[in-house]
Amino acid sequence: MKDDVMKTPIPVSLPPLATGLIAVAACAIFGWLFLLAESEVAVLGLVLLAVLAGWGAQKTGLSATLGTAMHQHSGAMNGAIVASLLAVIALLGTEHFPLLMLSTMLLYLVAALGLNVQFGLTGMVNFAGAAFFGIGAYTSAVLTTHTAVPPLLILLAGGLIAALIGALLIVPVVRTAGHYSAVVTIAFGVLFKTFLEVNEVLGGPQGLMVGSMNVFGWDFNNGPVLMGHEMSFYVNYALLSSGLAILAFALTRRLERSWLGLALDSVRLDETASACFGINVVRAKVLAFTYGNILAGIAGALYGMMISFIAPNSFTFSDSLLMVSIVLLGGLGSLWGSALAAVIVVLVPEKLQILQEYRFLLFSVLVIAMLLFRPQGLLPRGVRSYFPGGRAQR
Amino acid sequence: MDIGLLGQYLANGVMLGTMYALVAVGFTLFFGVLDVIKFSHGDVLMIGAFTGFTTYLGIVAIGIENPWVALVAVLVVSIATTAALGALIARYLVLPLKSAPPLNILLITLMLGTALREGVRLFYPDGSNPKAFPALLPTASLELGSFSLRADSVILVSAGIAVIIGLNLLINRTRLGLAIRAVAQDEETAKIMGINYTMIVLVTFAIGSGAAAFAGIMNGLYYNEVNFGMGLLLGLIGFSAAIIGGLGNIYGAILGGFLFAGLQTVGAVALPFASAYKDVFAFGVVIALMAWKPTGLIAERSSDRV
Amino acid sequence: MSEVLLEFEGLAKSFGGVRALDGLDMRVKRGEILGLIGPNGSGKTTSFNVVTGIYTPTSGRVRFDGRDITGLGARKVYEAGIARTFQRSRLCLDLSIFDNVMIGNHARVNNGLWFNLMNRRGLRREVEDGYARARELVAGFSADLADRMFAPVGALPMIERRRIEICRALVSAPKLLLLDEPSAGMTHDETAQLMDDILAVRDRMGDLSIVIIEHEMGVIERLTDHCVVLSYGRKISEGSYAAIAADPEVQTAYLGVD
Ligand SMILES: Nc1ncnc2c1ncn2[C@@H]1O[C@H](COP(=O)(O)OP(=O)(O)OP(=O)(O)O)[C@@H](O)[C@H]1O
Ligand SMILES: [Mg+2]
Repeated sequence: MKDDVMKTPIPVSLPPLATGLIAVAACAIFGWLFLLAESEVAVLGLVLLAVLAGWGAQKTGLSATLGTAMHQHSGAMNGAIVASLLAVIALLGTEHFPLLMLSTMLLYLVAALGLNVQFGLTGMVNFAGAAFFGIGAYTSAVLTTHTAVPPLLILLAGGLIAALIGALLIVPVVRTAGHYSAVVTIAFGVLFKTFLEVNEVLGGPQGLMVGSMNVFGWDFNNGPVLMGHEMSFYVNYALLSSGLAILAFALTRRLERSWLGLALDSVRLDETASACFGINVVRAKVLAFTYGNILAGIAGALYGMMISFIAPNSFTFSDSLLMVSIVLLGGLGSLWGSALAAVIVVLVPEKLQILQEYRFLLFSVLVIAMLLFRPQGLLPRGVRSYFPGGRAQR
Repeated sequence: MDIGLLGQYLANGVMLGTMYALVAVGFTLFFGVLDVIKFSHGDVLMIGAFTGFTTYLGIVAIGIENPWVALVAVLVVSIATTAALGALIARYLVLPLKSAPPLNILLITLMLGTALREGVRLFYPDGSNPKAFPALLPTASLELGSFSLRADSVILVSAGIAVIIGLNLLINRTRLGLAIRAVAQDEETAKIMGINYTMIVLVTFAIGSGAAAFAGIMNGLYYNEVNFGMGLLLGLIGFSAAIIGGLGNIYGAILGGFLFAGLQTVGAVALPFASAYKDVFAFGVVIALMAWKPTGLIAERSSDRV
Repeated sequence: MSEVLLEFEGLAKSFGGVRALDGLDMRVKRGEILGLIGPNGSGKTTSFNVVTGIYTPTSGRVRFDGRDITGLGARKVYEAGIARTFQRSRLCLDLSIFDNVMIGNHARVNNGLWFNLMNRRGLRREVEDGYARARELVAGFSADLADRMFAPVGALPMIERRRIEICRALVSAPKLLLLDEPSAGMTHDETAQLMDDILAVRDRMGDLSIVIIEHEMGVIERLTDHCVVLSYGRKISEGSYAAIAADPEVQTAYLGVD
């Protein structure tokens, strides 16, 4: 009786769920306070608090309980997480800058999820993440200024163009592995930025203006009105970015928990053996590479519209490395890990302006330490369970 | 196009090729002994150039004016520092990760490169701006029509080629080189033969990094400038050159270095739209080459035994 | 249907100057267990690698089940019905037992993008079927393992890993199973256990043919119907175990005297 993984419901007990919901609420309040915190001291205090809380959760077994909650009550937990994200956006309401930061973080997360499929699942390093993000942004700059394509479609176009340009790299990336494909993507990343800098049509080093988002006639330059109060226009972008991040997260989760995800894992761990068991290695790599580039392109397209002005300097090799750092810090293949790491890598330096200047240094040192002492990342990926709750753990 | 201009491009290409080959040889040496890519190589080169620059300032400060003395001091200090840095990286970042997935070493050294680059930018006095590297070599030139051959260029290229030949002799003709090749061939057997494995790895990293420092100084003398970002591009070019040549093969690295320089020069001369695209062109060709010959022109020995 | 399942004809493979296979002729009959033996470096593993399409032969042909499969590529060979294990265990250590076995089942599941991302109900059914199948197979080797289908493989001892490797190869119900030194890295008792398992599997899957590479002569003696002896990439002897054991040429090849 105990062997039927799918059907036997694991006995439901309230404590994990209750603990989980309380933890989500606590995180939401924390996030809200953190985004609003003004003084460096307050931010530093909150960062310290978070580190302590994380450490405490490990020590007291709270994190294990949370894992159980996520696993057994994934519906309720995911719902709570989405609800608290929306609540935080509503609470921030009129605050331009915190909303912009939150949206930026979410869009970086979308790109990092794509990279995680490429790198974490399939083992294909892509050191041109920022370039594909930039392709999306430049696509939206060109299309919003020169055409009347509806902006929602421009998002898709950003993903599509990123995938198409990525397709130019497919032959060398798929035919090679490890350091060989690394050099291809690094070369592409550097080439892309150099190209933007010298290309006059795309604005050269000065960059381009990008038009704003517009959904069914609702221009994102207008602040939405909630109960008589006009909110920041960034609320629009925060909501759309949240939607995008949730969609990307759910899709990536499904990909990971499917036969395709298994094939990607197998290709990462042993290409030769994979082929000997009938796995189409080329297909797996093309799928992962394209999937990741589409996500980066879409995220970049919305990012461009949101910040309304883009330049080659936002899409450098160092930015690509920052995206790879998100994946590495969070843990290879770990989606929640990427989410946590996106918060750390994007939000913390934005809030701590003293760190802003030092962020590349800071995160490169952090990743070095991580690779040496905790290569599995902050939130290591667990064993695959194909369905929520569908894993007999003994 | 007149002969003089052509000669100028040729001289320029040879200069670049020598520099790139020096960097590529380092990548190939590291890959040979350990099967790893140490991507911080370019930034180690930059550290070498900055160490050299700092040494020069120190020399001037203690009142030594003779450029030859300064040059020797610059070279000695910078090569020694960089060699030590290379050995430290091997000891504390590369060797501990030897049994981890091979990409981790690429990643950790990439991050180290970033840290070095950012470290110089943030902590070297006025590090974010380029520094004027002193002209320590005689600048007299020989005019042949429109082609002028400068003495410093000749010295630089000759010295660079001498270093490459010296490295080659070191690897192929000395006991140390024999030990390095033994480790590269087969680590286990080399250990059984009584070779001090760790020592050889550290020495190899020191040698490769020293060569990079030399290339860094060459670069500084040639362009009369050093800046914190110089290593990123040079590292990438050296890495590409080593890969095009076929990793682990010293001749391949030299070939790759000159090939890349040739591509850049051709890109600058032949492309109708501005030489600004020369790097775009060169990297584009690298990507195309990788699509055509994924493991380089001189194929790497296959290591995946089933 | 012909009696011969797999046939090599003048199979040769060189690596640079090394002739790993040098004109090998060999046949495997349906339903038999064939022992492939020979000194280290005599080309046994290489012959597996050539059959399974990891290497293309320098010359010669491989026929399987009435078809020429020379140079077909690993994936196609697998689909034709040949599965193998590796000399150096090649499981995915980070993945669960279930995942590892299901990698072998890859050709039988729906790999469509839409199906995997959107048809959760269909996928769930396939996962349940796959689970039942994998569990039954694993239970045939060890009931204890079958209760831990979601444990990572990396934590298991060598013998269990070998069992899972064999399950991974068997889950697709191949016609031919190639075992490359299944006893490597195991104690004498463990080897004996694993051989019992293999015999039991053969009894359960009536028409399965097996080629086994082994250095332990006891294993060969117990398991095989027929043996082929390689030396320097050539066949130097074949026949029953008793016959090849008595062959003086085989003895010199193993002892290395001329
Ligand atoms: N990929 C390869 N590249 C170069 N040489 C190889 C390769 N694979 C095998 N060889 C060589 O081919 C010969 C036969 O090797 P093979 O692995 O087939 O031997 P084997 O009979 O399986 O030996 P063992 O009992 O040690 O496993 C050996 O000399 C080996 O070094
Ligand atoms: Mg073998």
